[in-house]
Amino acid sequence: MRRQILCLSTKVTQNSCTKALPLTRFLSSQEAIDRRYHLFTLEKKRQLENVGRIEKIEVQYKGVPNSCTLIMNKGISTPYDCARHLSDWHVESSALALLDGSVYWDMHRPLTENCTLELQNFTVSEPQQVNKAFWRTCSFMLGACATIAFKDTVPVKLHSFPGPDIRSGSFIYDVDLPTLSDWKPTQQELITLAAEYIKLTRLNEPLERLEVGEELALEMFVENEHKTRQIPSIARQNGKVTLYKVGKHVDISRGPMISTTGQIGRLTIASVHKLNGSTEGDVKQLYRFQGVALPTGVMMNHFTFSILAQRAKKLNPVKSPIPKPVESEEKEQIAMKG
Amino acid sequence: MATGNLNLLRNAFSKLRIDHVFTRSLQRPRYRPPYWYAPKESATSDEFLTQENKQFIEEVMQDKMQLQNSLQSPLVNIDQNETPTWNPQTRRVGLIARKIGNYPLWTKDGKKVLTTLLQVVDNHVIKYIPPEEFNPMKTSSVQWKEKRKLGCMLVGSETIDPSTVTREYCGLFSNAGMLPKRHLFRFMVSPESYISPGTPLYATHFRVGDYIDVRAKTMDRGFQGVMKRWGFKGMPASHGVTKTHRRPGNIGSGGEKARVWPGTKMPGHMGNRWRMLRGVKILRINTQHNVIWTLGVAIPGETGATCYLFDTVLPLKKHSSSPPFPTQPLVDDLPLEYFDESIQRFDERSITYEEV
Repeated sequence: MRRQILCLSTKVTQNSCTKALPLTRFLSSQEAIDRRYHLFTLEKKRQLENVGRIEKIEVQYKGVPNSCTLIMNKGISTPYDCARHLSDWHVESSALALLDGSVYWDMHRPLTENCTLELQNFTVSEPQQVNKAFWRTCSFMLGACATIAFKDTVPVKLHSFPGPDIRSGSFIYDVDLPTLSDWKPTQQELITLAAEYIKLTRLNEPLERLEVGEELALEMFVENEHKTRQIPSIARQNGKVTLYKVGKHVDISRGPMISTTGQIGRLTIASVHKLNGSTEGDVKQLYRFQGVALPTGVMMNHFTFSILAQRAKKLNPVKSPIPKPVESEEKEQIAMKG
Repeated sequence: MATGNLNLLRNAFSKLRIDHVFTRSLQRPRYRPPYWYAPKESATSDEFLTQENKQFIEEVMQDKMQLQNSLQSPLVNIDQNETPTWNPQTRRVGLIARKIGNYPLWTKDGKKVLTTLLQVVDNHVIKYIPPEEFNPMKTSSVQWKEKRKLGCMLVGSETIDPSTVTREYCGLFSNAGMLPKRHLFRFMVSPESYISPGTPLYATHFRVGDYIDVRAKTMDRGFQGVMKRWGFKGMPASHGVTKTHRRPGNIGSGGEKARVWPGTKMPGHMGNRWRMLRGVKILRINTQHNVIWTLGVAIPGETGATCYLFDTVLPLKKHSSSPPFPTQPLVDDLPLEYFDESIQRFDERSITYEEV
């Protein structure tokens, strides 16, 4: 394991991971998570080193308390750093950055050129994009929660999550649990899942974004056959795959996402539904984890929230990613949306 | 020198004793809330809800209310032959009522009597705890003698908006499929008078002519002087009396008793205490609005106060025949009004007197 990682890391630092390394043995899920995390940090370090000589950019901040101009480092500074120059309130409440009035940018994604910057929190007048980012992050975290919530004897293979659909009433993650053929979670199990989720969010980890090449992405997700099948179609556009990391969990998503997991407040895991695929397909069945959450600081009465939770219990109508064999194109499209 | 060192050593060793361990006395707390206790009031907060969302929540609430009202009483499915029979030792469940005012009625011999009106609003059985599981909180002095024999029945009255109370309080009612109620009260009942949760209780739980005990809080009169609180006479208004018109006067006699004797009647807080009025006669019952007319005006509390109604424990006024047991189910063809036989009905011929 260690030798492999060392070998891989030298390859990554040389940026010549063109040919996939043969894996000598099966990776357990914890080893796979560690390995992916290690590769992610190495790649991030390499990309930072590639910035080279530090250049300055001018970021014109617009908003409260007053507009100002910040001189930041190109390719290194993020909107989060800008917020830290302003105040704690900006750091804690900002979920998304708006560059030049049109581009929605992650809080932890380095800025690349001169721009104007607006920080968006959950109470802005047009919160659609922030809301989408929030729901996407919730889905992403649901995957992280599902990987750690089960015992070691139950292998968990994350499949994908579709783009946020607020009208459906729940954020979802489709997970493959190969050893559990017919699992119906009890109420207590759902509460335990939610508790694990909340434990994760309370760690208040930042959501880091990284764009990597297709080969490295394939290398990172080598033990997950669902992801390896999705990656080529995702990378078809520009040869890049966007990854997000929170804690040690790394997953594919198009983004953007909110700033930290601490911005996820009240939450419930509403239900887990079984999705049946065709018998000829590669994936016989998936489990759709569904939940609903509110951002931190949004107060809602328990009765009102119970209406939302009841609504989230219904099977989310988003198309199943494991359709009949004739519709095999759909799967990749759904994966790309995620 | 040597002994000094030895003493030092002994002192050091004595500190190393392991048999002398400080432990907290393992006394259970004397008071603890019953396990079904849940904080009721919920902190109101600013919710960022649009007008449409508020309306939608209101609609959901109305739907739930209608669902609850359309619930069939569990008593309908019970076989009458299987239900146990009443005997004088049985304790039935009581009712939660609201005092809605005082009105006169006339007896058949033309005498006017003042009555107190009690309305039984939306009473439902919420929960039953059998005697062997019931473990009430400890009271300070008197041990709970009845705990081996009597079960505990929770009854709630007056459905309220769930968003005004806490989630925990709502959870007490959700097992019975109910929305939360404003009042929740515990009745000690014998196991044979079990009623399944969700059963509605009506004013016809009692009959006219029955005697009931009414428990309520007396009017809060605040800090009062001895004249109002204890009915002291006070002192003269004139004839040289200065600054002591409403004062109690002497409170002790000196000598061995040169102190304030315990229990001396003094000024202090008056009212706002739980008091039980026993043996109140029921004169009239309205089945449509569930109103009970009781004789007299001595039921504690203001108009609008909540009170609890029980079968009386007075030996001479107890039920002589079986009351509706375990309770009166909802029957459609009940008469609108029941009158005690001593009471003049308003639809009867008026009372006439012979001219003397």
